[in-house]
Amino acid sequence: MKSETRAVATSFGGEGLAYIGRQGTSLFAVGLAAFLLILIGVPVAMVVLMSLRTGFPGETVPYTLENFSEVYLNPGTYQILLNTLFFAVATVGVALVFTVPLVWILMRTDIPFKKTIYVLLTIGILIPVFLRTIAWILLLSPRIGLINKWLQSLFTLDTPPFNLYSLAGMAFVQGVSFVPGAFFMLAAAYRSMDPSLEEAAYTAGVGKLRTFLKINIPITWPAIAAVMVYLFMTALAVFEVPAIIGLPARILVLSSLIYNSTTPSTGLPNYGIAGAYGAIMLVLGLVFAYLYVRLVKQGKKYTVITGRGYRPREIALGQWKWPALAFVFFYLAIEVLIPFLVLLWASVLPYLQLPSQSAFSSITLKHYVDIPLRVGARPFINTFILMFAVPTLTMILSVLVSWVVIRTQVSFRGWLDTLAFVPHAVPGILMAVGLAYLGLAYRDYFPLYGTVLIIVLAHTINWIAYGTRTTNSVMIQVHRELEEAGRVAGASTAKVLRKIVLPLIAAGVLNSWIWIGLLSYREVTMALTLYTRHNVVVSTVVWQFWGSGWVPEVSALGVILILFAAIVVSTVRVLLSRVGEIGGAS
Amino acid sequence: MTRYKSLIFVLIAAVVGAAWCGFAKAGPLDDLIAGAKKEGMIEFYGPSTLGPEGAQALSVGFNKKYGQNIKLGFTPSGNMTRDTAKVIGLSASGQPPEWDIMVVTDAHHGSLWLRKLHKSFDYTQLGVARERIEYDNGAVSVANQFALPAYNKKILPAKDVPKKWEDLLDAKWKGKLGVINSTHHFARLAAGPWGEEKTTAFVRKLAEQKPILSRAGEMTQRLILGEVLISATLQDSQLHEAAETGAPLAFADAIQPVVSPEYNVGVLKGAPHPNVGTLFTAFMASAEVQPIWKKYTGHTSAHVPGTDAYKFAQGKQVVYMKQDQAKLIDKLTRDYGKILGFDN
Repeated sequence: MKSETRAVATSFGGEGLAYIGRQGTSLFAVGLAAFLLILIGVPVAMVVLMSLRTGFPGETVPYTLENFSEVYLNPGTYQILLNTLFFAVATVGVALVFTVPLVWILMRTDIPFKKTIYVLLTIGILIPVFLRTIAWILLLSPRIGLINKWLQSLFTLDTPPFNLYSLAGMAFVQGVSFVPGAFFMLAAAYRSMDPSLEEAAYTAGVGKLRTFLKINIPITWPAIAAVMVYLFMTALAVFEVPAIIGLPARILVLSSLIYNSTTPSTGLPNYGIAGAYGAIMLVLGLVFAYLYVRLVKQGKKYTVITGRGYRPREIALGQWKWPALAFVFFYLAIEVLIPFLVLLWASVLPYLQLPSQSAFSSITLKHYVDIPLRVGARPFINTFILMFAVPTLTMILSVLVSWVVIRTQVSFRGWLDTLAFVPHAVPGILMAVGLAYLGLAYRDYFPLYGTVLIIVLAHTINWIAYGTRTTNSVMIQVHRELEEAGRVAGASTAKVLRKIVLPLIAAGVLNSWIWIGLLSYREVTMALTLYTRHNVVVSTVVWQFWGSGWVPEVSALGVILILFAAIVVSTVRVLLSRVGEIGGAS
Repeated sequence: MTRYKSLIFVLIAAVVGAAWCGFAKAGPLDDLIAGAKKEGMIEFYGPSTLGPEGAQALSVGFNKKYGQNIKLGFTPSGNMTRDTAKVIGLSASGQPPEWDIMVVTDAHHGSLWLRKLHKSFDYTQLGVARERIEYDNGAVSVANQFALPAYNKKILPAKDVPKKWEDLLDAKWKGKLGVINSTHHFARLAAGPWGEEKTTAFVRKLAEQKPILSRAGEMTQRLILGEVLISATLQDSQLHEAAETGAPLAFADAIQPVVSPEYNVGVLKGAPHPNVGTLFTAFMASAEVQPIWKKYTGHTSAHVPGTDAYKFAQGKQVVYMKQDQAKLIDKLTRDYGKILGFDN
């Protein structure tokens, strides 16, 4: 009788605790959603407000649809929209062609030199995109491109075989620059795959390539799709390659129009027009956010990490080792080596010139010596603050959002995920303008204008979408049974999250933390929009140097930053390899 | 006695009158100097080519001239357009500007003037020549830029260098020509000697040449590398920097008229340090500034006899912008940007 009573009491207590737990989870989710809504919604509301007004942030003017009529009644807008879509699709294609094999090779196989490759890959993202673009101009320009010239003389061609100044050329340069980002996003998913599926294929006599196409890609399809969506949206918003390669050939895309609207050569910015162009991106973003949510809902089908037999194991490449290495180093050459050599070359010349005897005789270290005088300490301090604060805040929010979205039954979890994706639907420049507007017009309530904190906020909002895509794709791969086992053992929700979920997704979270820190380091559009003399960061210094035509000076700065980053990244890799791997790449 | 009294009265009146005149002449300067001492600092926005050393040299010269110990905070221009808009936005939201004075182009000062964002002052009281004062006493001319077609001396043979603007429309330059996004250069010609119709026709034909488009800094690199053979316009600041590094760029200086955007300086409405700002603005028009400005930016004033700019402008038809052209130039700049392909 006593034991029956105890059993009933325990059962009642368990249900009661479960009920309280569910209520607590719901309350937590509501609080999180409200916080995100304010964080993201207010700047977005400012952007919408901007598109409905003429004039400047802070000016009191009536609402109007003038900006929309000017933009959407212009037939040229639709050609530009087509350019934009082609550019974005082709960019994603180029990025995936390199990324997916790279991730598989580095995460799933026994390819040698992994540490070196991983460090080089990380360094690649530190090379500013526009400097890489200059390198490609030197190689593939129809007039001066070295590769074009060599091929023309080799095959006695009348016309250069490659034309960088085309949508395809733009997509190539942009797509290659996206690879490290996509790599970081996919790495954790590939690292966490259950090898028994591959082993079963090999046991059945299926080849490595066929296994890769038929097993690996389908299994990681949610993660790949998430990356595709993310890259597509990023490609819509980037403006450096369109500005440097597209504009000279009069190939306009939406981002270059927005940039031109907010940064005209003279006269004054037209924020309203920029907002009207941004509206297309906003709509596309929301459509893709919806598609993404649908993908996540299907995530259960792709669960591959379970409590059973989760033991990542590397696949022996055998005779495929050398072709795989060749592929990796081909990519690293175009991503890191060539741009770095171009930077190094440019940094020791009085002015940018192609290699020649007179160029070699004019080599100087002057630009390195001048850096402290030209730059000062403040940009480095501010950049350090960004690189630490932005990824930390972003990943805390991302983990919490993903946990609610993937791991709870809260009714509005899909809506919360869409909300977290909204920042990616808003071009960074518009988000920054929205924050600037907020800071200027409501300074008493939002006293962050002119501080580095407003850039921290802009970056954090902007990369919540990235952070949650990563944490979502990693959490999808962790089967619920592990958490259920924890709960059966009596652990609270918070304890399950801390002791089971977080350790399993730690590799992915750490990867994203590093990656977001690096993205924050090199981000220029938002930092420039929010820039004052008190919150200058390294990327704005670099952009200012470039805008002034100081290519040797900015190259010297770039070389120093890359070498510094190489040392830091290598050190971090060594230290972390002692306590656990980052995405298992080492 | 009456005569003696009258003499004393006349003498006293003369002394008082002279003192009054002296007070009236020295008054504004003394007031500004006293006010500046109290303010103690100035936030100075200027071209990035000036650099911290140039700004420091200006600060030293200013303190020496007026017996001050003013601390100067220098903000190098990253983007004059955006920063001008920032000043407008701050003003619209009732906030003070970040800077006390701004050295930006006449076109940018035009944007400020249209919105009444200058703190006016009669700078002639401080010895500034009338012809150097613009925008209803809101800004003072510091130095002149010059814009002309530019080329790489090592790549383009001397015989091919254009002699007049129309030479740029020759079919042989198709695809080899560059145009920078400073389309206000053409707008200035339209508001000045060419008129709108002729300039617009010229710009349309230039667009048919399928020029390579880029910003000025980038165009310099493209010219140096030989990717572009001639840039339809480039400013002497780019040539000055190129010359310092030994890059072989030159103006097609037989071409006229020459476009001359000016660097103007003015105190912003609501500036935190208006006395130092006003005094510094007057200082910027003084002869002491010309060698400093030349050393660091490569520019001098075409209105100061003996300077490089003055000599360059002699015998040439130079196009200067006037404040009543501000609106037209702003409109045509956008129109020409669209014709050339910079905008939709």
